[in-house]
Amino acid sequence: MTSKRRFAVVTDSTADLPDEWRTRYGIEVVPLKVIFGNETFRDRVDISDDEFFRRLAAATKLPTTSAPSPGEFADVYRRLAQDHDGCISIHLGAQLSATAEAARIGAESVEGFRVAVVDSETVTMPIAFLCRVAAECETVEAATAAVAARVSKCRVLALLDTMIGTMLDLKPLLLVADREIKPVSRVRTRSRAASAMVDYFRGELPVEHVAVMHAQAPDEAEEMAANLRKELPGQEIVVGKIGCVLGTHTGPKALGVVYIKK
Amino acid sequence: MDGPLFKQALLGSLNWLATNHEEVNRLNVFPVPDGDTGTNMLLTLQSAVEDIKESNAAEVSKIAKLASHGSLMGARGNSGVILSQIFRGFARAVEGKSSLTPRELAVAFEEAANAAYRAVNKPTEGTILTVAREAGRSAAAAAGDDDATVPSVIAAAAAGARAAVLKTPSQLQILRDAGVVDAGGFGLQIILEGMLKTFEEAESFHVDATAARPKAAQVALDLPEGGWGYCTEFLIDGAGLDIDVIRNDIEALGNSVLVVGEPELVKVHVHTDDPTRVITLAGRFGKILKLNVGDMSTQHKRILDSESAAGRPPRPNGVGLVAVVAGSGLVEIFRGLGVDAIVEGGQTMNPSTQDMLTAVDAVPYDEVVLLPNNGNVILAASQVPSLTKRKVHVIETHSVPQGVAAVVAFRPERSGADNVAAMKAEAARIQTIEVTHAVRDTRSNGLKVKKGDVIGLINDKLEFAGADYAEVVNKALGKLGPDAYELVTVYRGQGASDDEMANLESAIRSNFPGLEVEVQQGGLQHYPFILSVE
Repeated sequence: MTSKRRFAVVTDSTADLPDEWRTRYGIEVVPLKVIFGNETFRDRVDISDDEFFRRLAAATKLPTTSAPSPGEFADVYRRLAQDHDGCISIHLGAQLSATAEAARIGAESVEGFRVAVVDSETVTMPIAFLCRVAAECETVEAATAAVAARVSKCRVLALLDTMIGTMLDLKPLLLVADREIKPVSRVRTRSRAASAMVDYFRGELPVEHVAVMHAQAPDEAEEMAANLRKELPGQEIVVGKIGCVLGTHTGPKALGVVYIKK
Repeated sequence: MDGPLFKQALLGSLNWLATNHEEVNRLNVFPVPDGDTGTNMLLTLQSAVEDIKESNAAEVSKIAKLASHGSLMGARGNSGVILSQIFRGFARAVEGKSSLTPRELAVAFEEAANAAYRAVNKPTEGTILTVAREAGRSAAAAAGDDDATVPSVIAAAAAGARAAVLKTPSQLQILRDAGVVDAGGFGLQIILEGMLKTFEEAESFHVDATAARPKAAQVALDLPEGGWGYCTEFLIDGAGLDIDVIRNDIEALGNSVLVVGEPELVKVHVHTDDPTRVITLAGRFGKILKLNVGDMSTQHKRILDSESAAGRPPRPNGVGLVAVVAGSGLVEIFRGLGVDAIVEGGQTMNPSTQDMLTAVDAVPYDEVVLLPNNGNVILAASQVPSLTKRKVHVIETHSVPQGVAAVVAFRPERSGADNVAAMKAEAARIQTIEVTHAVRDTRSNGLKVKKGDVIGLINDKLEFAGADYAEVVNKALGKLGPDAYELVTVYRGQGASDDEMANLESAIRSNFPGLEVEVQQGGLQHYPFILSVE
């Protein structure tokens, strides 16, 4: 925390924020929950990603997920109010989860502390990028403006390993954009899917902030990152892990190319 | 030859082909269970004659036009489509004529052959095309005689056809290897001979009982319980008919059997998978009248399909999908992928142009992509675009795996033209391995095959024969070179047991550890396994 900023940056666990960014950029993470039967785990607090996918593979019934409560957000804001003069709180798209709404209600209950709650309209690492953009601003107003300018430009291009509801094993390629999840294409093998992702990504240039996300597919993610570096020499390309909550919905072997369009 | 006489001649052809089509079927050169040429030609001819039966037109041109239209709509299989083009050429040649001189008839036969040649992209000698041409030449030569008559011209055409048929093995290696003559050419010979018979006999002839008896050696099409079939109805005209005996015999070939009447005239109604077999059998008892065969399963299914399509939101690109598929599992797979209408059919039951046209016209889109999914269906499918106001793209998928790949590539938000390009490209990437049993002893592609052997085809070409499925699939995958591929999808057919399925799957996994294996229930008859390699 090297900047002179006096405001706090808060997100939730679905931002898939790299661990070291928490300390490097001073970002607070509120966990969502994942529930196996009658066991509840706080995402990345009580359960690691690896442990989650181990349990997922063994589970007879799929886990469920739940947003943090307004009270949990209020506790965090109350604590941050002690040494900050404001807060920007950036969360999982409201079309997908009640998290942003819980943050808004929680913020209202903390008097005298201004919290700008942002619905990111997206999932995973683009939220982390928005947090980093915010953290690098000097004032909460500047941060709010910088983040607002980018929300509609966040993209998540995701390859799921199987599509539920079809008989054939299809690998759907989906795009999270404009508060929607749209099918981009469907293919039958992962290598074809990967090249379709690169092709699609090429059509989206120019971009800023690029990451490759994966659920238990680190080698493929590194390969994809290498391919993207060929498209964008010199660009930072982060490789990150998809956490428990998103992993509940994507299943293992999901691969994502995420970016913010310029 | 005027209208009524030509009509009589065509009915004679139909009768004679109905009697002999099994002989044509037996000439199947390929050892795979196949859409039988004789059956396809018979169904095509039936459709050609359908409208004519009700017509009292005096002009030969009107009868010829009805035959041309009817055969085009009913065309099944490659030979059926070529037969429809023969009728078309004939109809064009006799346009405006109320009756034909022997010379005009010969010219019409020659024009018929020319039209057939024009319809085929790469005409092959030693096939029905050659036979049609030789029939025309002989007819023309005979018409040059001073005392030529219509029967003498037809007799010459039939003789020319017969001579040409006998020469076909010298023109085509595959016929020579299999030791048979060309089936389609032989079918045409029978059609011409049938015409001749109407002139030789004063009245419609009786079916020869011995020739009509089906031989057990022919492939049996087992009708699945509650499976699809043809609603087949006709009258048997004879003497001393035993209703119980007829009912017994017919019941063995289908369900919903109704046999009623008197010793002189019996009405038969049956739902069967193999109408021509029923007709052949009934021909033993007497003369067949008022034959009507309706493909009820495709009609029934088609209604189901358009209903399910109606429940979906319309596609943004306004493009519909129609596929030719057989096997309950495969039908479900194609439906699941978003196909709007399914025409039941494939290798062993080639759907007609009319079947596909009806399906294309039933989907709620003005632009339609049609997937034949079988090499024997492509030619009949390619007639569809010219028969409808809708814009129809026929993607020439030769196999089910190619069809699946094409449908997977379809995107509802992309234009028809872009989709067609993408679907063609995806279909072309797929390698198809088909595994079945040889239905006869033969030599093909340098392989000696014994009836019952497991045989493996790669992209429609017979490549391997062996004792069991795993062995043949191993060889086929080895030949393709597994390093170039990622995924094998195995469509399991009706003939494969759980053990055989498990053995095959573990054999692929252990011999080709780099390949992903996915098993789907295909439900095809006659093909225990079809593999998609990509």
